[in-house]
Amino acid sequence: MLTLKLAIRNLLRNTRRTVLTMALIGSSLTALILVDALMLGMLDILVNSITKNLVGEAQIHRVGFRDNLDVDLYLSETEKIIETLDQDPTIAAYSERVLAGGILSSSYNVATGLMYGINAVSEGQVTQLPDAIIEGQYLTGKSGEILIGHELADLLEVSLGDRLVITLSEADTSELAQALFRVSGIFKFGIKGVDKGVVFTNLDQARGVIGLTNEQSHEFALRFTDRALATQPGTAVYQNLNTSELETLNWLQLNRPIASIIEMSKFASLIIGSILFILAGLGVINSMFMSIYERIYEFGVIKALGTRPARLAGLIMTEALLIALISCVAGLILGYLLGSYAAEYGVPMGDYQVSGIAIDSRVLTRLEPYQFIQFPIYVTFLTLVAAIYPALFAAKIVPTEALQRSL
Amino acid sequence: MTALIQTDNLCRYFYPSDEIVVKAVDGISISIEPGEFTAIIGPSGSGKTTLLHLIGGLDKPTSGDVMLSGQNIAQMSSGELSDFRRDHIGFVFQAYNLIPVLSAEENIEYVMLLQGADAATRKKRVAKTLQQVGLSDYADRRPNKLSGGQQQRVAVARAMASHPDIILADEPTANLDSKTGIALLDVMKELNETLGMTFVFSTHDEKIMKRATRLIHVVDGQIELDEKKSS
Repeated sequence: MLTLKLAIRNLLRNTRRTVLTMALIGSSLTALILVDALMLGMLDILVNSITKNLVGEAQIHRVGFRDNLDVDLYLSETEKIIETLDQDPTIAAYSERVLAGGILSSSYNVATGLMYGINAVSEGQVTQLPDAIIEGQYLTGKSGEILIGHELADLLEVSLGDRLVITLSEADTSELAQALFRVSGIFKFGIKGVDKGVVFTNLDQARGVIGLTNEQSHEFALRFTDRALATQPGTAVYQNLNTSELETLNWLQLNRPIASIIEMSKFASLIIGSILFILAGLGVINSMFMSIYERIYEFGVIKALGTRPARLAGLIMTEALLIALISCVAGLILGYLLGSYAAEYGVPMGDYQVSGIAIDSRVLTRLEPYQFIQFPIYVTFLTLVAAIYPALFAAKIVPTEALQRSL
Repeated sequence: MTALIQTDNLCRYFYPSDEIVVKAVDGISISIEPGEFTAIIGPSGSGKTTLLHLIGGLDKPTSGDVMLSGQNIAQMSSGELSDFRRDHIGFVFQAYNLIPVLSAEENIEYVMLLQGADAATRKKRVAKTLQQVGLSDYADRRPNKLSGGQQQRVAVARAMASHPDIILADEPTANLDSKTGIALLDVMKELNETLGMTFVFSTHDEKIMKRATRLIHVVDGQIELDEKKSS
């Protein structure tokens, strides 16, 4: 109680310095919460861009298909896969697709691209393709419909209703096949590679062009009941549909660059947090030393009276603990208020791309409980670590030397 | 009578550089009896404060022994010395004796708290010592609301309250005006005479010398004259 009483009163001795030190620590905590919340917000955009736009949360292919999208490496007997997926309670939706690279020709230009044959209804349950339509309409199942990315449309100089010819190789025979479509919709995903190089058409028609039967396709895109299941190796679908012929991969495995960015983002928070707390720690050490130097004579007297060095060190540590706790409360409140505001209205970041994915100009922050539990613990711990050196310095003060100073 | 303090060939040397040796205390052997009102006097730099610090266990001798209440404090560790000072020695310094964030009564209570005295004992002793130094009405005041003389009296009260074997005072009147200094000394002298409390001063204040029952003249770290006066 004596130590606590002394610590509280000592902090009130120089309120300006105490408040400034608390402001430094508290604002560091606030900054850490906001940076982490912003990183989570950006990751959400990245992950949503992948999982809700085309890739889905996991995909099933024939082994080797992903290497060069060889149309011959199709999934046969897809009804067995469909049966497995239908019986799996963790699967919320899936979309069967065929894929083939080809040459897209308009009346004005030619480009290479990737044709996706999709089931309009099930695709809409897995990805946000219907919402990505910026002109025209989504697929209705009619023959000849095709959706084209807005950048590819610009390149081919086509607009709604214009003709588009796709030339590609048939599966198994490698015979050239051609099909005529009319642009029924233009989409914008914000993913450069997709907007500039992909078209979507109806699954049955695509199968017909490529030469696949109704029980053959190239890909299943999956959506789970909980996205977290996608990255858990123990999830049933990975156990059931990974064979010598089939590979079922989650969205991280399908997007190595993004996986690396996500891994890096974890370190980014750590690095930013470390820098913040090194600065705050130095501030604490500086403030503590200023406070100790001002009180050296007083500490000399206190030690002369019989105060043990450990008790004096304890006093400094208690002062640091109080500073940390009060700073944390202030930092948490400010972090919560600012974080909530940014979660509602977003943080203007300007338009930029990460790994080909356009990040919106406003990023909505995401606050999580761990930011309000773990971060204050780190802050308090690091403040106490920073206070160890000043505390040891105070403990080692020699009374006879201290009593000769500051008079 | 058994000596309260006994030093035997006590030396404290300082080495500011390899070639220079400052002999602040050089072979001092003294014996102080309980109830003495002793002043260690001498010119500035003579070693009187160093001698007081050695006697009080604030400093360690280069050689020699310091026996206080039958214990050789020269051989004690830093922690043991802290406990010994807490339980056996009261200090009054030149100025800024008090902990600024504590009131007069809390300052007096401080050492008793370190000793682990119970609340009732502390309260009783605080009230008594404040009365003895004439500051009962100033118990709640912090040091910055007390005059220099009042602060020194609180320091005396704090030194007394822990029931030490001896009170060591280093230039206690140096920062006080003459009248306040006399008043403080009268308080200490009365405590010495009525309670038999032992005081040892380091000073060159004539007022203390006049009241002291023994004057130890220190020059260049050695005792030049040990003069006992009849009280």
